[in-house]
Amino acid sequence: MRYFRLLATLLKVNIQMSLAYRADTVVNILLNLMWLGWELLGLSIIFNNTETLGGWGPGELIALLGVFRLVNTMMAALIWPNTEKFNQSVRDGSLDYTLLQPVNSMFLVTFSRITVWRIWDLVLAFILIAVGVAMTGATATAVSILNFVLLTVSGTIVIYSLWIVLIAFTFWFTKFDNNVTILQALLDAGRYPVTVYPVWLRIIVTYLIPIAVATTIPLQALRGELGLGSVVTFIGIGIASFLAASSVWKVGVKRYSGASS
Amino acid sequence: MVNIFKRLWQVNWAEQWQYRANLIMYLLYFLVSPVIYLAVWTSIAASRGEVNGFTTNDFITYYMTLLIVDQITSNIILHIFAYKVQDGSLSGELIRPIHPMLTNTLVNNIAFKALSLMGLTPIWIILFALFRPDYSGVTWLNMALSIPAMALGFIIGFLLSAAVTSLAFWTTRVYSISEFYFAIFLLFSGQFVPLPLMPDFVQEVAKYLPFQLSLYFPIQLILGKLSPEEIIQGFLAGILWLPISIGLFNWVWREGVRRYSAVGA
Repeated sequence: MRYFRLLATLLKVNIQMSLAYRADTVVNILLNLMWLGWELLGLSIIFNNTETLGGWGPGELIALLGVFRLVNTMMAALIWPNTEKFNQSVRDGSLDYTLLQPVNSMFLVTFSRITVWRIWDLVLAFILIAVGVAMTGATATAVSILNFVLLTVSGTIVIYSLWIVLIAFTFWFTKFDNNVTILQALLDAGRYPVTVYPVWLRIIVTYLIPIAVATTIPLQALRGELGLGSVVTFIGIGIASFLAASSVWKVGVKRYSGASS
Repeated sequence: MVNIFKRLWQVNWAEQWQYRANLIMYLLYFLVSPVIYLAVWTSIAASRGEVNGFTTNDFITYYMTLLIVDQITSNIILHIFAYKVQDGSLSGELIRPIHPMLTNTLVNNIAFKALSLMGLTPIWIILFALFRPDYSGVTWLNMALSIPAMALGFIIGFLLSAAVTSLAFWTTRVYSISEFYFAIFLLFSGQFVPLPLMPDFVQEVAKYLPFQLSLYFPIQLILGKLSPEEIIQGFLAGILWLPISIGLFNWVWREGVRRYSAVGA
């Protein structure tokens, strides 16, 4: 409960900060709509030339685009601005103030900066997912939709956990401030089902930088391709990676000794 | 003048060389999309035999060639010039008796290009081994013709980007404007798919726009996919767009510098 109140307060602070740039918000939303149009045009070009992409139909790819945009929004609204602030605070020592607060430091590092206008992007993502699922029609059952939602959440947590581990590395290597670039670079691979990629690329985006866990795999659940065993396994991976990331974070914070000492 | 360029080259090469670690990240960013499109379209072509006349190998060679042509014809003006207008550091360059955009920025671009091509080469060889493109359709004549084509593509793209970036003299939102410009480029240049796969109206419009000169035209020229008429048409378009882009850039630049009042002045 306390954390919800805290989150609401942080959101309020960020809304106040962003009110200074109202015109930019409008421009950003327009550009965002333009890219959505571009993405849909891309899909229509693909489906003008083929009925299925690796066995997937248009509805499934629109839902995938929605899930991709969900992850992308997390990157743009939380991960990028907070990484920037975090890297800066490790360098100049202002992280001390964050650690001194009587609140979980991982929580504060995750939510202290929020790019507010991206909430709009979140709405768009949900619309895309709903439209996509509706387009797939009869093939989706209540169970497969439930699995889809659960795996989207757990996949997003896997990527979030990877981020926490990447920025926690800064406690060991202060100069490691390119930390999130690799995540962003490979993110684009989440736009299409990884099953159409060559094996080496599939391995990279499934195991090394697990973009697919948050994009392709939830969609496979929606298509009813995953058995109960795999669904449970992927949810387990989500929980395990969160626990692992939290403990890496704790060890890292213990190592941290401030910028001046 | 030759000496000026020589010195500018030394300075800019040294500057770019400093950032070689960032270069790896840049290349990673740059590589991912073409490789993904390659994978998507080859998988479609493989399941159907061909797409609109494009076989699997056509897609592989198209995107593999795109990786190189894009490095040669693209530019990074926005990233090295816009902030100079915003923080006022352009003032120092403006009082020199040489054009800031056509000397310093140009040479910096070329230095970046040389370095990124060096970085791309080993990666390209690895991708070559992974995708095994069949380049047997390429002839020496096509290769030779592609050199002036890429030069035209680079110069026109450079001038147009320079004109767009010069809007920084008027507005701090130049990054948003550039994003819009980039989306138009993406649509009409053949970066996403070879243009014949685009909807008809896009193809028709693309013919009259300069963007395909930077990617689609040189790529298809190298691959020997263009008829003699199409080759002549492409070069004519380039020769027509060259004076237009020179005029456009000169005009925007002249008006912009007149408006420019350096930060702090």
